[in-house]
Amino acid sequence: MRNVSVIGGGMSLFRRRLKETGKELSFLASKMAMEEAGVQRSDIDMVVMGSAPDAFDGIHMKGENLLDGAGGKDKPYVRVFNGGGTGVFAPIAGWWHVASGVADMVMVVCEEKMGSCNPHPQTAFRNIWDPILDRPLNPNLVWLFAMEMNRYMTRYDIKKEDIARVAVKNKRNAVGHPCAQLPDANITVEDVLNSEMMAWPVNRLDISPPSDGASALIYCSEEKAKEFTDDPINVAGVGWNIDSSMWTNRDLYFPDYVANAAKMAYKMAGINDPRKEIDFAEPYDPFTYKELHHLEGLLLCDKGEAPILTREGVTERDGDLPVCPSGGLLGVGNPIAATMGQKVCELYWQLAGKAGKRQIPGDPQVGVGQAWGDIMQMGTVLVMRRG
Amino acid sequence: MTYLEKQSNPLDPVHFRGNLQADYLYTSGAAGDKFFKHIMENDSFLASECEECGTVFCPPRLYCEDCFVEIPDEKWKEVPAKGTVRLFTTAMLNTFGEPLEVPKIIGLIDIEGTDSSMLGILKTKDQKQDLTGITVEAVFRPTQEREGTLKDILYFNESG
Ligand SMILES: [Zn+2]
Repeated sequence: MRNVSVIGGGMSLFRRRLKETGKELSFLASKMAMEEAGVQRSDIDMVVMGSAPDAFDGIHMKGENLLDGAGGKDKPYVRVFNGGGTGVFAPIAGWWHVASGVADMVMVVCEEKMGSCNPHPQTAFRNIWDPILDRPLNPNLVWLFAMEMNRYMTRYDIKKEDIARVAVKNKRNAVGHPCAQLPDANITVEDVLNSEMMAWPVNRLDISPPSDGASALIYCSEEKAKEFTDDPINVAGVGWNIDSSMWTNRDLYFPDYVANAAKMAYKMAGINDPRKEIDFAEPYDPFTYKELHHLEGLLLCDKGEAPILTREGVTERDGDLPVCPSGGLLGVGNPIAATMGQKVCELYWQLAGKAGKRQIPGDPQVGVGQAWGDIMQMGTVLVMRRG
Repeated sequence: MTYLEKQSNPLDPVHFRGNLQADYLYTSGAAGDKFFKHIMENDSFLASECEECGTVFCPPRLYCEDCFVEIPDEKWKEVPAKGTVRLFTTAMLNTFGEPLEVPKIIGLIDIEGTDSSMLGILKTKDQKQDLTGITVEAVFRPTQEREGTLKDILYFNESG
């Protein structure tokens, strides 16, 4: 396998409903990544599109619809998706295009236009359940995640206010992000606890918003990257893993599938002690407790320890282990697949020293990004390192 | 050969009846917004021209898919809502296989002054076998009834 470098990233605005079509959002993010990398469409050999269920945009086979905005015309082009895991899985698929030697330069574009799904994208989530064993009871994802959150809190005797701190941290971190949908410099733990109770113990501010948006990333072989930079940023390891669809038979307190994906990625990256060797993390944070759950799944702390680290400030941008310095999904927004912008592009921008107001102090060398999806099943992990 | 068996009663196995709810509000897009606002008040089209390769898009696009550059406002122009038929078919059945009362002619129209074609319903003066190359002109809804969608163009009528 060849070493693969990242040479540019781009993101559109993230908003509840944008005027632009999915194609146009893809174009804006792609163009930004190409400008950052200093390349033209003709330099790009292949394009990988990541976009979650067709039901959000309301276009069947939306990969084909989006391709011209993603620069994919007349090129080898493929869309990949695995629900909420797509934001990190699409860059994994892009990586193997270059690592295998099939392509020298690849653009990965991720898009989601959830605002098309009316009145709310939750109507699309209603159809992800088993039609015989789950759907007759009309479950929705908030109820499901409320049960999982409750299990996590009960298992380790976690206080709700320690979980609410995640929303406060991420929405404050998002203040420095030019694309952010819900930044809030003044939000407090009380604001989160006092927001509307949706399904106990989930309050409204525990949840990231649905969004329209797109993001893009450009890879090339490490050898080719030397034409663009003296200090290449490389993909060090990737991993993905999925648990059983029989979710009713699983103990939901710990995401084994994330741990399995992380172990796969760490092994490839030659990381033996992730707590010592990883400088910052972008775990998937569609809900507050998920950031904590995923930090434990990523083996960056003991089981049940993530809320304590959060309370002690370890996960703040200037802490020992900055977590979601981008502002995450809670602060920047959650256009499912397009969260590649926070989970993978952010790794590049932080390692390259291009994160602006969001820059982590102390010259970080290694970062890990992770996404999660389906019915609490899918873990996707990518480790990036300064070359 | 099992596939030759007659279908059994679909209600025989124990089953659950459901549907996939899907309601959408599609945005017309940054380029579409201007195009559809224009046809609400004009019997003409807007087109956008790529600065690099000169391709003229109608309906207009925000970007050129080949050159991958954004098309600036000053490269937008008004073009007549007419053109030449390039391809066509006459549909006798609808999507569900039922006969249409009046056969429907649909075709691709090369829009004058552009490098683009639009899909449209065609009306001709008399019955013809081959409509290729005839010139047609868009017939719009009355201005007060327009809603800013493709349906504001009722059909393309053979001109002359
Ligand atoms: Zn062009």
